[in-house]
Amino acid sequence: MKTVLLAGVAIAAMTVSAHAQTFVLGMKGPGAGNPFWAAVEAGARDAGAEHGVEVIVVAPPQESDVQAQITQIEDLIAQGVDGIALAPTDPNALAPVVDAAIAQGIAVVFVDTQGINDGVSFIGTNNEVGAALAAQFICENVEEGADVAILQGLISQSTGQARAQGANQGLTDCGLNIVAEQPANWDRAMGLTVTENIITGNPNIRAIFGSNDNMALGAVEALKQAAMLDTVMVVGFDANPDAAASILAGEMTASVAQAPSNMGRFSIEALMALVNGEEIEDWIDTGTVLVDASNAAEYQ
Amino acid sequence: MVYSPKLSKFLESYGIVLVLIVMMVVIAMTRPDVFLTPQNLTNIIKQNATLALVALGMLVVIITAGIDLSVGSTLALSMVTLAIASKAGVPWPVVLVIGPMVGLAVGFVNGVGLTWLKLPHPFIMTLGTLNAVRGITYLVTDGAPVSGLQPEVRYLGQAYYDLGIFAPPAGIPASLILVAVCAIGLWYFLEKTNIGRHIYAIGGNPQAARVSGINVERVLVIVYMICGFMAGLGGLLLAGRTDSGFPNAGIMLELDAIAAVIIGGASFFGGRGTVMGVLAGVLIMGLLRNGLNINNVSSFWQMVLIGVVIIFAVWIDVVRRRAAVRR
Repeated sequence: MKTVLLAGVAIAAMTVSAHAQTFVLGMKGPGAGNPFWAAVEAGARDAGAEHGVEVIVVAPPQESDVQAQITQIEDLIAQGVDGIALAPTDPNALAPVVDAAIAQGIAVVFVDTQGINDGVSFIGTNNEVGAALAAQFICENVEEGADVAILQGLISQSTGQARAQGANQGLTDCGLNIVAEQPANWDRAMGLTVTENIITGNPNIRAIFGSNDNMALGAVEALKQAAMLDTVMVVGFDANPDAAASILAGEMTASVAQAPSNMGRFSIEALMALVNGEEIEDWIDTGTVLVDASNAAEYQ
Repeated sequence: MVYSPKLSKFLESYGIVLVLIVMMVVIAMTRPDVFLTPQNLTNIIKQNATLALVALGMLVVIITAGIDLSVGSTLALSMVTLAIASKAGVPWPVVLVIGPMVGLAVGFVNGVGLTWLKLPHPFIMTLGTLNAVRGITYLVTDGAPVSGLQPEVRYLGQAYYDLGIFAPPAGIPASLILVAVCAIGLWYFLEKTNIGRHIYAIGGNPQAARVSGINVERVLVIVYMICGFMAGLGGLLLAGRTDSGFPNAGIMLELDAIAAVIIGGASFFGGRGTVMGVLAGVLIMGLLRNGLNINNVSSFWQMVLIGVVIIFAVWIDVVRRRAAVRR
């Protein structure tokens, strides 16, 4: 009896109240998984509270667990929600689910990571532009022709590809010499290890671009140990609180901030617009901004 | 091939060292300017010290014909717990102890779960804790990394001694000394103490061990506690090295540790495996990664090659043993 009661409570908590519009934010990883997703979640919840709509947030238990995400979205479609803002862990794998949602008349937008379904708007950062912004900063601050390196994220993901491409393009265009481009899979320990290996083979390196802050902070540790931090600048991406603290401490040089809370907010607002029959743009850019010692305090 | 008992005996004892030497020669030939520099050799040691500790713990479990899938999660929980304590201003000597203690606690749960609940295989109990402990790790941190540790806490993971002859950042890492101490201690424990011999006996034949009066349950709990302890110690090193307790640390580490132990000649069916073999196994994986990295080989190819090496290393072992049996 008790279990039945508990299960009933759990189902009641998960199902949706009948009156308010209900929108789902499907994230790639738990908001409790990193500050970025936490900010996306907060942005969506704030928007939901402001506009009086219900916001359900789901995420696979582990970053990029494709199977779990498909299951979650399928279950939510079955519940009959009004709209879904999805950050697809794998755009190809999620495409059929998105089609199924649209077929049921559910409004869908992609958030953070673009999917492959036609006619579905994307709300997120232009990662290539953001990485180019970091590259431009490096170009302005090291001598022409200097050796630089790029730490790539998971290059099987579009975000990883876009950042690697944007950085490569930007650094090449201003005549810098890219001596190494290696993946460190978004991971701090791996960023540290890969940087150790890069600086061993390339002692004249002047700058390292980390496709996210975790890897960039790993690079900072490697450079600190090699006593090379004075001569090598490290630029990251995401401007997470750790990175902001490092920039203020004069260790990391700069980072690029996305606007994760904009992503959450704009997603919900875009879904509301769609449900009301309005047209929305194909790509709603949530913007990037360069963060250095002058403005890092805002991101701590 | 002509069968030679002498050669087979030699290979059985030193085959894995030969593999190591061949690898080093090949890598040194591809990047003579980089591979043998003190800085690169230091890197190899620093980058593999954590894996070495975790694999040593795994060895003890595998000797009993068991397996511990929870070591990656245990490492992460140790890291974040000690990072939180360090940030909270807990005195550093206490913080140092926290990581290994968390490991001991998880190991105790594994051991007790295995023996009291009589689960059919350690795979199941530790698969449970692999998930549960990772979940707890996310819960206590809210998933966010905890960075900025006390310098004393970072010491083991970060310090190195240049001994006045190496130019920074080359030198003897403190982590190497910790690995050496643990390896020697574990070797002594396994070879020279009663419990150590019992561990091999349980792996060789648990029924016979039980009949001969060994308290198998008690020894197994100790075995899983040792494994947890080593994972916790590994967490202390990795936290020191990265200046951070990040909850995603050590995902899939258990598989690397198992691979190192198996490459090092331990048997999945228990009763066989040595400390030296494990250290060689760790080095083989570390050298492979380093060699590919300094030659700028894509990480996708690295995964393929590491897979091939695992299969190949164990196959060599099978062939070697078959030769030894024929003798």
